[in-house]
Amino acid sequence: MQTPVSEAKPERRLHPWSWLFVLVQQLKQFIVPLLALLVFGGGGRNGFWTGIGPLIAVGVLVVISVLQYFTYRYRIGRDGLSIRDGWLHRSLREIPYSRIHNVVLHQTVLHRLFGVAEVRLESAGGQKPEAQMRVLRLDEALALESLIKHRGQAPDADAPAVQADSLLSLPTSEVIRLGLVSNRGMIVMAAAFGAAWQVFPDRMVADYFERFARQLFGYASHLQYGWLTTAAAAVALLLLASVLLRLLSVLLALAQYHGFRLSEEQRRLTMERGLLSKLRTSVARRRIQAWTLHEGFLQRLLKRRNLRIDTAVAEQQGQNDQRALKELAPIATPEVCDALIQHLLPQAQWPRSEWMALPAGVWWRLFLPTLVFIGMLVLTLTFYFQTAWGLLPLLWLPWSAYAAIQQARRAGYAVDDRLVAIRGGWWSRYWRFAEIDKLQALRLSRSPVDRRMGTASLWLDTAGASGFAPPLHIRFLPEAEATKLYSQLSHALARRRMRW
Amino acid sequence: MDVSNGIQPSSPSPLHSDWQHLPPRGAKLAGLGNALAVAIPFVVASAFLSRLADFGSPWLLAPIGGLVGAAFGAWLGVKRHRRTLWKLDEDGFALQRGRWWQTESRVPVSRVQHLDLKRGPLERAFKLATLVIHTAGTKMAAVSVSGLDGEDAERLRDRLARQLDHDDDAL
Repeated sequence: MQTPVSEAKPERRLHPWSWLFVLVQQLKQFIVPLLALLVFGGGGRNGFWTGIGPLIAVGVLVVISVLQYFTYRYRIGRDGLSIRDGWLHRSLREIPYSRIHNVVLHQTVLHRLFGVAEVRLESAGGQKPEAQMRVLRLDEALALESLIKHRGQAPDADAPAVQADSLLSLPTSEVIRLGLVSNRGMIVMAAAFGAAWQVFPDRMVADYFERFARQLFGYASHLQYGWLTTAAAAVALLLLASVLLRLLSVLLALAQYHGFRLSEEQRRLTMERGLLSKLRTSVARRRIQAWTLHEGFLQRLLKRRNLRIDTAVAEQQGQNDQRALKELAPIATPEVCDALIQHLLPQAQWPRSEWMALPAGVWWRLFLPTLVFIGMLVLTLTFYFQTAWGLLPLLWLPWSAYAAIQQARRAGYAVDDRLVAIRGGWWSRYWRFAEIDKLQALRLSRSPVDRRMGTASLWLDTAGASGFAPPLHIRFLPEAEATKLYSQLSHALARRRMRW
Repeated sequence: MDVSNGIQPSSPSPLHSDWQHLPPRGAKLAGLGNALAVAIPFVVASAFLSRLADFGSPWLLAPIGGLVGAAFGAWLGVKRHRRTLWKLDEDGFALQRGRWWQTESRVPVSRVQHLDLKRGPLERAFKLATLVIHTAGTKMAAVSVSGLDGEDAERLRDRLARQLDHDDDAL
């Protein structure tokens, strides 16, 4: 492959329809102001300009999109991809294949209609993807993906095709279970509600809800039932709402996770999913930074868990972009999860049997923050309102203490020469672990309570940890043990190279 | 300092394998910086509280609150400066901080991504520097030590950066 022919590869352009998708993307960004202008800006003295304004704006966007198509070129080199774009402000970007951590292929319904796909190349860190190719013909996109997978060496036609082994695929029944345990519906409803509140002007939403509530209340008071019936009706209404939300969750899960398949090809994991809009994303096995196994209450009822991974790929803060490969198993039985981990981390020992438990009698330290908070709340309430109702939050304490005891009973950690693992939670349980090679920094900390009790806690930092995953944080260790572990780990880390 | 350290990887640059204090001349600077940082919230809080409790004039109480905050901040800053210790041994860089909440952070040499050496005008006047060690981590993505002696900081940077040269095929 080191022939000069490969050096002189021609520059390529995106798909001729790509301007349409760029336009759609830009319209999506401006859709709210444009709509608002069209719907609510009409009338008034300068009605003509408000009418023609959106048209001009769309026209400008079309011109920009077409320009982008004509100025965007890419070349598939031997070691990397080079991308040239821009007209007035030009840029040339060289992306070595070895730096690409993740390749994402995304197809919405519109993409599928045109037989194209959006390709996104991601490297570690940073806020934006290395390159976003909007859009390529599907077969070109797949070819580019496999080229990057093989680090620029075009897969030989004569070589036996390496079959990707399927590691996990979810049948529809599992996807329905996934919908049942997830709160997707609620999140979507909340988001829709918030958006409606923002977009529609002048208390329209608030007025609407007020009217609705008044009608409902009027209807209820018209019926003149006793309070028991009213309470029953309220409960029934709540039940109905939660059933509807679950149903919405199931529908969303079906749309997002239908045809979920996780496969492995040459140490690279590829995940495909989606009913209408399809997503295909892949990550090299060694790029996995940390693992989280989670079992919520509903999941436990169904005897399922989910397995997520952290990758060092850029994720825009606050933007819930579910494109990077984060979920290895959205839902699976504990055995399947464990088998998956064993397969992907063959040297590590999983599931662990010898968990180091927390020292006995530390449950009150888990309970302490709640105690302080509730105490302050009660003080403030009784001080301000001068009634005994201010003591109501105290009722939370026994439950919280019980939860703390249960959590302390289940919390633990396990460290060997390959893996650091912690477990915790009670109502909703988690196991989090990372290879020692993937640890980045250590921190030993002692709060005033820690110093009094002769304990310490150890923070282990990994790359790409999101705020949602529980931190790798071993708490309430006896100080000698913590110091020993800390120096042992820091010694081990210094000896080992970081492998991305 | 000798430049050859950065060029010849074989010659070991001096390690500081026991805990090092920050130079005492930086205490003033640390106190000043912290005084400003603490005074501002104190000004706002005292003005707000005096309005809320309808006690005194905010125009009088805010500067008083600010002065109290500045004094408290300066005291805290000097204390914290005194309690900041660092060391560099064969495992990497370690930093100890705080008395009430004690933390000890460690960045192994093999995990250093890149280094920043910063010198503000005041720090330059005192021959001090701030060293920022970047890792690929999340919570500890940047470990920053301000008030280091300028030459120590340069030595630390050279020593920690040398590992990066060895590692250039890490990807």
